[in-house]
Amino acid sequence: MATQATVAPVGVTSPQGGSRTIPAPANPPTAATANPAQLTPAQLKAKAKADKAARRAQVKETKAVVAAADAAKTTADAKGGKGKGKQDGPQSQSKTGPQHRGSTSGRRPSILVVEKDVRSGIPECFSHIPMAKRIPTAHAHKDVHPAVLVIGQQMATFAIKDSIARLEATLLAFRKVIESYETPKGNSLSRHFVPHVLNPQIEYLTECRPMCYSMGNAIRLLKAKVNDFDIDTPEEEAKEGLLETIDLFINERITLAEFVIARNAAKQINDGDVILTYGRHRLVEKTFLLARENGRVFDVSIIDDPYDRGGQELARSLQQVGIRVFYSPNLGGLRANVERATNVLLGTEAIFANGSLHAAAGTADIAVAATNASKKVIVLCETINFDRERVSVDALTYNEIDPEQNTSDSFRLLFDTTRDKYITGVITEFESGTGNSPAQAILALLRKQEDPTVIA
Amino acid sequence: MAPSQASYAPSLGKLLKSLNGQTLEASIESFIYLLKRRQIKGDDCADATAHLLRQVIAKSKWSDVDQLLTRVQNVGSRLAQAAPHEPIIGNIVRRVMGLIRDEASEDRNADDLGSETASDIQSLSMNAPRPQHPKPAPIASRPQTLTTMPSFHVSKAKSMFNLLSVVDTLDSPVTGASTPMSQAQPTSVSALRSEVLDGINEIMDEISQADDQIASFAEVQIQPGDFVLAYLPSRTVERFLVKASARRRFTVFIASLDPPQASSSTDPYAALRKKLNAGGVKMISIASNGLMAYMSRVNKVIFSAKAVYQNGGLLVDSGASVAAQAAHAYSKPVIALGGVFKFCPEDPSDEIAGETGDSSSYVSYADGSKVDALEVENTVADYVPPELVDVYLTNLGPQTRHHLASIMADHYKPEDVGFSLIPGEV
Repeated sequence: MATQATVAPVGVTSPQGGSRTIPAPANPPTAATANPAQLTPAQLKAKAKADKAARRAQVKETKAVVAAADAAKTTADAKGGKGKGKQDGPQSQSKTGPQHRGSTSGRRPSILVVEKDVRSGIPECFSHIPMAKRIPTAHAHKDVHPAVLVIGQQMATFAIKDSIARLEATLLAFRKVIESYETPKGNSLSRHFVPHVLNPQIEYLTECRPMCYSMGNAIRLLKAKVNDFDIDTPEEEAKEGLLETIDLFINERITLAEFVIARNAAKQINDGDVILTYGRHRLVEKTFLLARENGRVFDVSIIDDPYDRGGQELARSLQQVGIRVFYSPNLGGLRANVERATNVLLGTEAIFANGSLHAAAGTADIAVAATNASKKVIVLCETINFDRERVSVDALTYNEIDPEQNTSDSFRLLFDTTRDKYITGVITEFESGTGNSPAQAILALLRKQEDPTVIA
Repeated sequence: MAPSQASYAPSLGKLLKSLNGQTLEASIESFIYLLKRRQIKGDDCADATAHLLRQVIAKSKWSDVDQLLTRVQNVGSRLAQAAPHEPIIGNIVRRVMGLIRDEASEDRNADDLGSETASDIQSLSMNAPRPQHPKPAPIASRPQTLTTMPSFHVSKAKSMFNLLSVVDTLDSPVTGASTPMSQAQPTSVSALRSEVLDGINEIMDEISQADDQIASFAEVQIQPGDFVLAYLPSRTVERFLVKASARRRFTVFIASLDPPQASSSTDPYAALRKKLNAGGVKMISIASNGLMAYMSRVNKVIFSAKAVYQNGGLLVDSGASVAAQAAHAYSKPVIALGGVFKFCPEDPSDEIAGETGDSSSYVSYADGSKVDALEVENTVADYVPPELVDVYLTNLGPQTRHHLASIMADHYKPEDVGFSLIPGEV
């Protein structure tokens, strides 16, 4: 690794006038912020092989710098012609150039090389944590549907960010995939669709950004549905059935769930309350607006994440309907804020099987502070975000690295884990408005229902 | 420490340079302005206060201890009022006042002894038990005043200073606490002056050496392989880490609440990183609001206190309490660094801890709708409750909460503990 970082530029900088002064990890922000998200074992193997070859090549290279440089240049040019041109010129090329030489055997050599540079900045103790990356559309698998390509890009750039938005986008894109699907001759949809059509899409999406748990749940449902079809089911009927499943899913688990949760949560807000929340979460915002519509008069205290600043948008939309807002740009005033609040309303990305929250980094700090001050901590979450298979007690088990904050001098995890002891209750669409229950109760309910979406 | 000479803004360095050239009042005023504009803050306040009080003692006219004490107290409370967010100023004022009291009583004892030898026939005949050496302890002075009463008059008559001071003693504001002192007549103002100045120099030395002394405990606190979370490392913490890096291989997480300012594109801790890397210590800057996510990896949390209150609570930079709380939730030790001069014999104040600051870096003034919509509360100082702090690492070594009271008692006179922010009779 180290030799690559130091030797690689030498080979190529000479023809480019030695303009490169920054060390390798200090990637310019515009560079493709790519990294290996979740590589299949086969890919990893290929990558390892490629690395080894590259290293060998480097050793030779140092002996004949000029020759190597020329060779590298030609390779780089060749790659550039392949559609990698948008990646900012000499720097990335000078880095990637010589490494291409050794790694031509890989399936997507250029990506593997780029990701190497990006991930090299990650401290060793966090090296197990995946990170979203931008894959040039030209390098995606040929079977990836255009609709999926688009949302993959949007997810990698965090244009589609929270778990439900990602889930919805995925389902709608899969809808398009199903609509345009035609079973090849001699095949049946139930046997052919998943391995040859659906899996490449999922693989691509996972590569762009690690899947969120709601997506995992939904995909499992979809696959189960496909498997349910008899091998003789006519294609039209099967497609019709799948589309219907997706529509029903979006209606029930997303649209309706959001409505019910907001309605139930809004009932928990009383006149004169001061509700503390963190950042901007769709469900929390909905709840506030609904409570205001119901005539409740209350204040909202927003603690924002200075790396995200979604709280400012929330503040604005609340201000427009006449809710008084206190805005803290960071966790600095946490103690005072918690003391002022009557209860705390939090959104989350997912809830693990042990009742831990997987939520935006900073949520845990607020939940702990609120619990220490004996304030109610209420979490809003759709049941689709419950993961019944994973258990997490600390934030380093399942997490993601923020690709925007992954330079030599800054590192950031996107999520943290809040233990269930810091949570008073969870409001989901299962509740009939009687209040909130611990996450474990909902998990038990999910198990009992044997909900088809969460087949273990 | 090194003030940037390029800037035109007044700074501590310039103030200290100008101290000798300016009149005392001008120095005080310019210091107060620096405090109010927060151009002097944190540990520099202690140093600056000591320098200024040194000037007060050296330059102002005074002829007895009470006058001096009143003068110091007045200047001190002006400074403390200018910067109520810096309790450290009050600490230094208290230290200096305690110093003056000590020197005065020592002086008087010496004086007593001197006059006694002059009139030894008298005292011998009285057969009173008397000290062989001048006793510095003020407690010893009370019983002596009785036995040596006659010698007072002798010494008064001898001393020219006292001819003048008699008048002053009468109309100088006499606080109840210092009543016994006012009876004592220092033989020599200049001797007292130089002794007090020496004492202040010692305090200044203590302040300047505190960081190094604290750092000398680094090796004990940091073990090889540790993951240390340093929250907003101050000079003290930086020195501590660098010292530890000489002998230990560990990893440092640097955390702060806010992203680095867009204007300063450089890494604020580049120098520290360089030093640590030279010692083989990895440094990782954590750019995160919450710190819980990293806590399972961290072994200990280190930050420096702005002040340590008498209950063991800390006044800290905003966000350090988040770090302390996260460490507490994961049962990781929290080590607060701070010289003894930061120990403040007061109770924590919510007003100081909840201090809010500039919000312009969070909401652009160009964005009218947001400026209208948001009541931005950017807290700049924070309070860490005592139960979240495990070790107080001072220049006198690591301390626990239960030992703080005796340290306070060692360093401050009970008369000065009540030194208030309300200016006395100016």
